[in-house]
Amino acid sequence: MGAHILIVEDSALVVSALRILLEDAGHRVSDAGSVRAALDIARSDRPEVMLLDLALPDGDGLSVLETLSNDGLAPRVTVAVTGRDEPHIIARCKRLGCREVLVKPIRAMALPTQVAEWLAE
Amino acid sequence: MTRIGAGYHTVEERLRTLEERVEEQTRTIDELRNRDALKTQFLSNVSHDLRTPLTAIVTHAEILRDGILGDLSPKQLESICGIISGGRQLIGMVGEILMYARGAADQLSLTPTEFAIGTVIEQVTSQVEPLAVKKGLEIGVDVEKDMPPLCADREKITHILSNLLGNAIDFTEHGGRVWVNASRTTTVQSAASVLIEVGDTGIGIAPEHHELVFREFAQVDASASRHHHGTGLGLAIARKFVELHDGRIWVESAPGVGSRFYFTVPVHASC
Repeated sequence: MGAHILIVEDSALVVSALRILLEDAGHRVSDAGSVRAALDIARSDRPEVMLLDLALPDGDGLSVLETLSNDGLAPRVTVAVTGRDEPHIIARCKRLGCREVLVKPIRAMALPTQVAEWLAE
Repeated sequence: MTRIGAGYHTVEERLRTLEERVEEQTRTIDELRNRDALKTQFLSNVSHDLRTPLTAIVTHAEILRDGILGDLSPKQLESICGIISGGRQLIGMVGEILMYARGAADQLSLTPTEFAIGTVIEQVTSQVEPLAVKKGLEIGVDVEKDMPPLCADREKITHILSNLLGNAIDFTEHGGRVWVNASRTTTVQSAASVLIEVGDTGIGIAPEHHELVFREFAQVDASASRHHHGTGLGLAIARKFVELHDGRIWVESAPGVGSRFYFTVPVHASC
């Protein structure tokens, strides 16, 4: 049984690649290109997994997780996806509850297996 | 009154002029430093931004390669593999530019763990082995028995080895030999250190260029660099990583004879 996965990412090119991979693995995929869109989708159709880009056009990606956590609506698993791997950024992601931090360029082909592992925990 | 230069000036006037010049030079230096910092920040931002489309290109190509969207003919597969290989090469170059930018901004730090250097050498060697085999090169590894565990930044040591071994393969022609040796040594900085040698029987480097190859953007032989591609930052980054560990890196080489790159890392570099 597939999970509902929300991809929060403002690059349509990246979203389309991840969508193909995750749908091929049997998951239902939604996507949002901004903080506002991510909150709207997550509130109306709560995802089990959220892949969260940190740099979004209308603000900090982590604010999505922070807001959802405050509302008691955090997804079961949130994974940060970022081009920045500075230790303080990774530490902040972990502090706010990200299960993992994937640094771009991510090994996307491994993502379906990783999702299965996160959901099995 | 004192006669200085062509005119008559008091010592005070001359002093004031000198002070003004010093102030002007200081302002110029500050401005150049600011511009250099801005340039470094720009490099860092661009490198970050390039990672996103590169991820998309490589992932889309991998989706096609793995047949997720249907089978490909052998020629289509070969073409897709070319895109993936080019994309990965670009990703590597972007990573080097980013690393350089961080080094220039003094933003590099060590994340030490304890590990066996032999294991890291094995991993790096197995990663580059297909390249060596493709070029018809013999690759050898010799790690001294009972080496003590190394406490260092594993990722950075891996990066140094990958860079040196990658260069050795790049600059060695068909039928040549590349090798990695690791042994114990002592240095001025540390009684117990590890000495790693990455050697090849390749084109070699003239003695007058031995220092130059470790400088940023250095291109010892423009034609060779163009042939082998790259940012020209690899060895400069390797040196920075070695020095972060209080180690030393150097090369012994001669044209046509091959090269031997050495670096030392104190056993307890960062713990």
